[in-house]
Amino acid sequence: MSELLFFAICFVAMALVLAARFVVGPSVADRAVAGDCVETLTDMAMVLFALYSGRAIYLDIALVTALLGFIGTTLIAKYLEGKL
Amino acid sequence: MRIVIDVLIVLSIFFAFAGVVGLLRMPDTFCRMQSSTNVTTFGVLFVLIGGFLYALFYLHNGEMMVKCVILAVFYFVTSPIAGHAIAQAAYLHGVRSEKKMACDAYGEDLKKGPPQPQSAEEPAAEAAPAQDETAKEESET
Repeated sequence: MSELLFFAICFVAMALVLAARFVVGPSVADRAVAGDCVETLTDMAMVLFALYSGRAIYLDIALVTALLGFIGTTLIAKYLEGKL
Repeated sequence: MRIVIDVLIVLSIFFAFAGVVGLLRMPDTFCRMQSSTNVTTFGVLFVLIGGFLYALFYLHNGEMMVKCVILAVFYFVTSPIAGHAIAQAAYLHGVRSEKKMACDAYGEDLKKGPPQPQSAEEPAAEAAPAQDETAKEESET
């Protein structure tokens, strides 16, 4: 049962490591991609925590986070193209 | 079944770790984008398959099964769209690869201007032998 929590901690640790790319990324696109990946990894940690606790509300939160991450990335892309 | 679920999640962690290492160590913006898709495809897929099996066999919770499927479908629909949009935006914003690109079809299209509506046939991108990995990865992204 508790190894799901261990896997979730692995995902969160990877997201924290990836925050370095978010800080030092030389261009804006690097930061956007790194932010998208951090969001995905925390999303997976949230799915694993939902399985661990047996409550479906965390999966709802993961779905909303995925939606917001997609909208944010597409919005940054449109802004960089100059069409916004 | 418990072992199958654990192996799936460990496989997902492996792919996500490969994606994170690629994002931190790749030399180029477009290379990093290509490596970031590793996280959003296999890193997502296996953990959601594992979650589906766990909810099916241990939790007996139909709601969580349906939500895992919805999350997987959503990620597989939206991550190519986001990747393509951010790669195009990075090119237009002025990001170039470090080495010289072997094949730059999008830049040639941009130089040519907006396409005329009656000319249906697009000039095919010349199939240069891809000595440089960067251009190939950029066109994939």
